[in-house]
Amino acid sequence: MKYTFAAILAIFMLKLSAQEKHFPKDENGKFIYYKVVDSQVLAKAILLERAKNFVSTVNKKSMSLITSTDTSVLAKGKLIIDKTILVAGHPSGELNYNFVFEVKDGKYRYWLTDFEYIPYQRDRYGNFVATTTIGTPLEKSADRLNAGSWKDIQASAYLKVAKFGDTFKKYLATDKKTAEPTKKETISTKKW
Amino acid sequence: MKKFLTAIFAMASASCALAQETSTSPLEISGSVDTYFKYDFAKKPNIATSFASDHNSVSLGMIDLVLKKKTGKASFVGELSFGPRGQEQSLINGSDGTSSFHIQNLYVNYDFTDQFSMTAGYMGTFIGYEVISPVGNFNYSTSYLFTNGPFQNAGIKATYKFSDKVSLMAGLFNDWNVYTATRGVSSIGGQLMVSPVEGWTAYLNVLSGAGGGGYGTIADLTTAYQITDKFKLGLNAANYDINDDAGGYAGAALYPQYAFTDAVALGLRGEYFKYKNVAGIEGEKYTSVTLTANIKSGGLTFIPEMRLDHSGTKPFAKENGMAAPNAGQFSLAAVYAF
Repeated sequence: MKYTFAAILAIFMLKLSAQEKHFPKDENGKFIYYKVVDSQVLAKAILLERAKNFVSTVNKKSMSLITSTDTSVLAKGKLIIDKTILVAGHPSGELNYNFVFEVKDGKYRYWLTDFEYIPYQRDRYGNFVATTTIGTPLEKSADRLNAGSWKDIQASAYLKVAKFGDTFKKYLATDKKTAEPTKKETISTKKW
Repeated sequence: MKKFLTAIFAMASASCALAQETSTSPLEISGSVDTYFKYDFAKKPNIATSFASDHNSVSLGMIDLVLKKKTGKASFVGELSFGPRGQEQSLINGSDGTSSFHIQNLYVNYDFTDQFSMTAGYMGTFIGYEVISPVGNFNYSTSYLFTNGPFQNAGIKATYKFSDKVSLMAGLFNDWNVYTATRGVSSIGGQLMVSPVEGWTAYLNVLSGAGGGGYGTIADLTTAYQITDKFKLGLNAANYDINDDAGGYAGAALYPQYAFTDAVALGLRGEYFKYKNVAGIEGEKYTSVTLTANIKSGGLTFIPEMRLDHSGTKPFAKENGMAAPNAGQFSLAAVYAF
């Protein structure tokens, strides 16, 4: 019983802490996810190449490259926001965004902004699809009837974007070429 | 019921755990619940379109449960419905006193490539604008076009997506709305989807073979255009000819909708519908106007609705039982989607 209570409390605390996280606003009043990363080890050209790969190869289905220069990458993309019911759930909408990456010697920065949310609705075949092509800016305040669910969407969007940011940072820090293939261990039954 | 729910949660938990290891999508669970009150001005059920049939009663629609899972390129959808809307009012074997299987969708799908996929099983029909699930409709009552068209098609279909703007589907199907074919795999169907501009999608549908009332061909146009962020316009037009002049129907419905806020929208459905003449007997004509509001709060939508129907052949009844050319009703529905 006490373990059940502890588990419920942990889930509740986790939910509360998730709700506390939210996007700061930029100088134009738009939500932004902005990070500056020190990267003394890797050369500027390598970071730029990896950023381009991240957009064009790793996330080719959900991102598209708009422009790139020798110090920057500009792309747009979308993330699927999920609605969770206990341990299962379903997609509740998609979050469109613009992605900017800039690099100089010793550090880089990236940010995601211009977030627009498009809700999903179940279609006649039981699949979740976009209800409209016109997105709602994520920083827009919702009317009173939908304030609660809009806050949940904002919180879920933040978590999803933060996860995306972590993945991007890890990708840039990882040298794929030096990764050794793992040797599969075989068990011999002849010697014992 | 307890065992059923336990099984679902166990499957969901196992699916989540497995998903972390194999990067498949977790089991999706979604659905809806709906209930309604309807008051017919003739004080008896009068308008014979589908659902919301009870007069002066707080009545049930259905509880709808949908499961979906995708593993790699393969996926399935299973949709079960319990309640009048999802059983005897929409499933053909529900009204004969035997048990209904309650199935709205049950199919498997395989994506051979990003462009090409095949689907087999029992699926919501590709014909028409309105659907059985109240979550998929703006209006709570349904059109004559919906009521007289197919609800589901069992069969196998192939879809090729040329781009986000054009796709083509072709398939072989059983007769309408049955789990088991009564006349063999007897229908051929196709759908061309085009999206000429952003926000505008049109479906041109054809289904030919065994259907309602005999062998025939139904041609259908279903389109919707989100003209501004507030205003959406939908259109459904269909023609169904049963072979040997044995009947059918033709009609069109227009669906303008305006969103005043994120929570409140107002929509109109204007419909013209005519049954085809059979053996020289003139088919009935109907015109119908339905004014509907959608008031949303989270997953809950309130749907107050006023509907007025007219037919020159007086198929409706007055309060005193006399035939009448007009019928009207008010309804208030609550639909919760999860």
